[in-house]
Amino acid sequence: MAGTGFFGWLRSNSEHYLLIAAHQKLAKEQGSPAPRPPKGAKEIFWLKVFAPTYAVLPWPLRSRIMRAMPGSHRQTWAAPPRSQGPAV
Amino acid sequence: MPRKTVIIGGGAAGLGSAGGVKAADPTADVVVYTENEDVAYSPCGIPYVHGGEIPDFERLFLAGKQAYVDAGIDVHYETAVTAIDTAAKTVTVAGEGAVAYDQLIIATGWNYADPGVPGGELSGLYYVKNIRRAMEWDKVISETKSAVVVEAGPLGLEMVTALAHRGVETHLIDPNPYALAMMADPDIMKPVEDSWRELGVHLHFNTTLEAFLGDDDGKVRAVQTSGGEIAADLVVISTHKTPENSLAKAAGIKLGSTGAIIVDERMKTSAPDVWAAGDVVEIPHGLTRTPLQGLTGSHAYAQGKTAGTNAGGGDRAYRAVYVPWGTPAGKWVIGGASFGEATATALGIPYVKGEAQGISRARYYPGVQPVRVKLLAEPGTLRLIGAQMVGGGEGIKERADFLAQAIRFGMTLHDLSTMENVYSPAIGALNEPIVVAATNGVAESKKKA
Ligand SMILES: Cc1cc2nc3c(=O)[nH]c(=O)nc-3n(C[C@H](O)[C@H](O)[C@H](O)COP(=O)(O)OP(=O)(O)OC[C@H]3O[C@@H](n4cnc5c(N)ncnc54)[C@H](O)[C@@H]3O)c2cc1C
Repeated sequence: MAGTGFFGWLRSNSEHYLLIAAHQKLAKEQGSPAPRPPKGAKEIFWLKVFAPTYAVLPWPLRSRIMRAMPGSHRQTWAAPPRSQGPAV
Repeated sequence: MPRKTVIIGGGAAGLGSAGGVKAADPTADVVVYTENEDVAYSPCGIPYVHGGEIPDFERLFLAGKQAYVDAGIDVHYETAVTAIDTAAKTVTVAGEGAVAYDQLIIATGWNYADPGVPGGELSGLYYVKNIRRAMEWDKVISETKSAVVVEAGPLGLEMVTALAHRGVETHLIDPNPYALAMMADPDIMKPVEDSWRELGVHLHFNTTLEAFLGDDDGKVRAVQTSGGEIAADLVVISTHKTPENSLAKAAGIKLGSTGAIIVDERMKTSAPDVWAAGDVVEIPHGLTRTPLQGLTGSHAYAQGKTAGTNAGGGDRAYRAVYVPWGTPAGKWVIGGASFGEATATALGIPYVKGEAQGISRARYYPGVQPVRVKLLAEPGTLRLIGAQMVGGGEGIKERADFLAQAIRFGMTLHDLSTMENVYSPAIGALNEPIVVAATNGVAESKKKA
């Protein structure tokens, strides 16, 4: 049983529909298979309103919004390793 | 009195945890509860027994029950934990009542997402997971004429290939436009799909499951889809993984947006003296920091070791993940690290692409196989951010492992285009495909600049 709540709902819907929007974009650019066209109010909202709005926001802002959601990323994690000087 | 660590779960994370606790504190009492009849078998091998590549299920058992007795780990088989009380520091165990712990590790794993359509109670719906059930289902497969695999996730890929190898008329239905679309790119999957068609698999993409249809005996006879009815004696459900979070949720332990348990780098949860590991937790991606759930058995095992070490009084940190992955699919092997074009596009992350079609060993050496590499890099810095590959098999896994490290350590396309590589006709080509892809990526970025 997966978690519910607002953030669970937002995450699963945005992930799902942003991927469909990405498949649409790749299909246009590369001629890969396209997803089926959206059907019904819910799909139309996520694909015609949410995805294009998300797309115009700059990555730093989108990233900030994602980081503001509750999750493991907000706990303590070691910083990514940085390249070191020469070994010898 | 020795400290008592209770572990809920006997999968990769639970057993990794048990080993971690014992390594940190050999005197600790370690009790593992599992609903299954067995621990220490590799579920990952099940599709390959079904496909006939591995001759029997016995080979998937990695250690006997005695091995855990000898290691001082008390495993309670077929025993469900029904509740956790983090204030009283007890768990409720079916048939045992309240059991006290000093430290608790939750490693309850994952379930397939509920397909959420009518007919879910019919027999003939196979959720590939438990080895004893797999042994029974293998006999069913021997008598199966036609099967439908629901969704082309990683396990779906393996089961489609396995059923086709067993000579079953196999249909794959998936709501996406191509296979493994939630993580892989369409150009990587194209050769896989072609090879399935060669094997006689019927592919139904952009097709939604609507119902399982049964006969008078309550056994599945077909699936109803958005594209019509498909007859089948067997349906394999390989929907995405969801975290088995019900105990944690009821105990008030904090869950993240994936529905999985929130942990820190020491695998500590929000509750005192409670750790968690495996597919029931979420781990941040090393680049985007977006938490991910439902990684792989190797991730689960390493997280278990971390949770166990810390619960046992040691000190060990797990890191954000770059997710090297790979699997055979059809006649190919696919793999990658971090993310591909589809995911980067979905997240709106800009990238420069470097691609190459190369070979796995010298062109003239028998057994040479194709290797296609696609690298994604951050525009400007050309720091590697993702990779995907498809090839005949040779070296795909090693390249995925290497590229995940390359991303983790911030290597750039410049670094990769000048990297050293092994050239020995039988095992490596003069032009390493990663080097060629990176060189092409550098050239591509100059064109765009
Ligand atoms: C068919 C198949 C193929 C796979 N292939 C691969 C592969 O190729 N590569 C790879 O890396 N991984 C693979 N995996 C592993 C997998 O995908 C997971 O990542 C891994 O199983 C996660 O381990 P875990 O310990 O977190 O959870 P699980 O393996 O799900 O273990 C959960 C444990 O918790 C127990 N449990 C749950 N709830 C309770 C409760 N209330 N009381 C008592 N016990 C409970 C269960 O009995 C079980 O022992 C495969 C798995 C399967 C099933």
